[in-house]
Amino acid sequence: MAGLTEAQVQDRIREEAKKALATGEVSAVVGWTSTRFEDKTKPYFAETEAECDLLVWNKYCINGTGKFALDDRYPEKKIAIIARGCDSRALNRMLRDKQLKRENLYIIGVVCDGKENAVCEGCQHKNPLTYDVLIGEPVEEQIDADRFKEIEAFEKLSPDERYEYWAKQYDKCIHCYACRNACPACNCVECYADQYRTGWQGKAADREQNQVYGLTRAYHVGDRCIECGECERVCPMNLPIMRQTKKMLKDINDLFGDYECGLPDDAMPILGSYKLEDPDEFM
Amino acid sequence: MKLAKKDLNKALEILSAGAIVFAPTFEMIEDKSEGGQTMAEKKFMPYKEGMFIALDGPNTVKPPKDILFPNVEKMYRYKTGVNAEIQEIIPEDTKKILFGIRPCDMRSIDSMDKVFLTKEYVDSYYAKRRENVVTVAFGCTEPERTCFCDSMGIDPNNAPSADVMMNVAKGSNGDAFILEAYTDKGKELLEQIKSLDGGAGEAQRDTKCQLQINKDPELDKKLAGMFEHPIWDKITKGCIGCGTCTFVCPTCYCFDIDNENYGAEGCKYRCWDSCMFSDYTRMAGGANPRPTKKERLRNRYMHKLSYFNERYGETLCVGCGRCVANCPSHLDISEFIEKATAADPNAETYTDAPGKEA
Repeated sequence: MAGLTEAQVQDRIREEAKKALATGEVSAVVGWTSTRFEDKTKPYFAETEAECDLLVWNKYCINGTGKFALDDRYPEKKIAIIARGCDSRALNRMLRDKQLKRENLYIIGVVCDGKENAVCEGCQHKNPLTYDVLIGEPVEEQIDADRFKEIEAFEKLSPDERYEYWAKQYDKCIHCYACRNACPACNCVECYADQYRTGWQGKAADREQNQVYGLTRAYHVGDRCIECGECERVCPMNLPIMRQTKKMLKDINDLFGDYECGLPDDAMPILGSYKLEDPDEFM
Repeated sequence: MKLAKKDLNKALEILSAGAIVFAPTFEMIEDKSEGGQTMAEKKFMPYKEGMFIALDGPNTVKPPKDILFPNVEKMYRYKTGVNAEIQEIIPEDTKKILFGIRPCDMRSIDSMDKVFLTKEYVDSYYAKRRENVVTVAFGCTEPERTCFCDSMGIDPNNAPSADVMMNVAKGSNGDAFILEAYTDKGKELLEQIKSLDGGAGEAQRDTKCQLQINKDPELDKKLAGMFEHPIWDKITKGCIGCGTCTFVCPTCYCFDIDNENYGAEGCKYRCWDSCMFSDYTRMAGGANPRPTKKERLRNRYMHKLSYFNERYGETLCVGCGRCVANCPSHLDISEFIEKATAADPNAETYTDAPGKEA
């Protein structure tokens, strides 16, 4: 990390967290704290000055923090979020989707050098994009030349081979909705899948219903995915969920040009808006 | 009896003749794309010739509970209208052998037996499956770092309610097992494979869990008085409200009942439900007595550690560690047990940084 050591960043996080709470305008600071396992941290709400000293910063701070801002959609006080690049994109996602109000957030940005998390290898935004205070010196961003490498390889398979692959993957799915709950783009007040009486989504975890869920999820978040990889990280059955949204993003990039979500000047989601000059060769 | 490790497949081959033998193995899913890899999931699968049997090492990701209590169970088919009729679906009468189940998972079956077969109600679907299952438990040799069954009163070396108990033979370096029948069903099973008997021997039963936790022996009673305790607010904040913990839990047995309709025909089925979901307690009118993850996670922990004790006299958490290993937020029920053990039940406030408050 440019300029600051891990321990120095941790000190700065605690300091900024305490400052935020001391203003009296912030109810809690969301970051990470240690667990009984050295290589795992967990999301943590520091609500007192002493609890701010339990916040940690190390290479195991992998959980997304942004989504916790949605826990209370009508808060009496602000919520402070310790945000890496990906977390700031998550917050931008929810702001863009009008699920959050900026004035209810206090964002403590932290320049991140990547965590013990596979998705960090392709990170294009180590610097937070939106913040109220920034910890660390901004670093130069890398372009990930391999962003769609996995998709390009997978596209070469025949439709039958791809179907067989996904059918087997979705046979493993246990319908726990961890991928949905961890996803900053899954921010509906009430998910379609929780409205069982409508008959849209069956509750049984069988091949049919799992695939209905997988497809709906992929299409719903496909043009709004910030590529944080939380869906895939949290899946207890190790489904390669990012492969679906990445495919959507790749097609969008091919058809509409450079496209990335969760940036501060984020345009409308590309599949949720319409322009006269949109490509329509397929029609 | 003594069974050499090299004869394990032979034994399962023999047993497969009269039953479906479920054993822990790795299911491979091949990714045919360039640079793709094969993904493996440890799970209980029906024995097939030459199958690799992954007895030792970590436990399966999913517990074997679905063999007795399937994720989706069709209960009856029906036709509506003038020719209305109902046709019951009865579970098939197939003998099953659950081979290599761990003592924690065996204890979870004891708990499910209590739920589905006692207190004046017998669940016919569960009962039918249960009477057809023979269990061969395997004493743990390499507990994971998340395993704490011995802190919950379970011996990782021995499953008293199993039909057959199987342990590594002392001094064999894992190359042989000692099998002991605990029930008549177990004796019958061993009779079938007695041609492979390598003589007498002593079972190695000295495994201890890696994770030793400090649990109040009367925690169930203490928690019963802590429903409104401020600890719940604090420990549930990091939860993301998914159902992972409940679906990987060997003792979560809640289910929902729903229909699958195709025109004038349909089917009634039941499927696993999760108390972590918003609709679990949602009333038809929309009111929900458990509106946030605080009330939902509290219910889960209370059920495991207090409510079940009250009704059935035992703790429902068996310390298998699956929820600890798989929670997306790295929440840890064993940590909660320690925190609740240490907590003042009458406290008005709760903090993770005690002694530092102004």
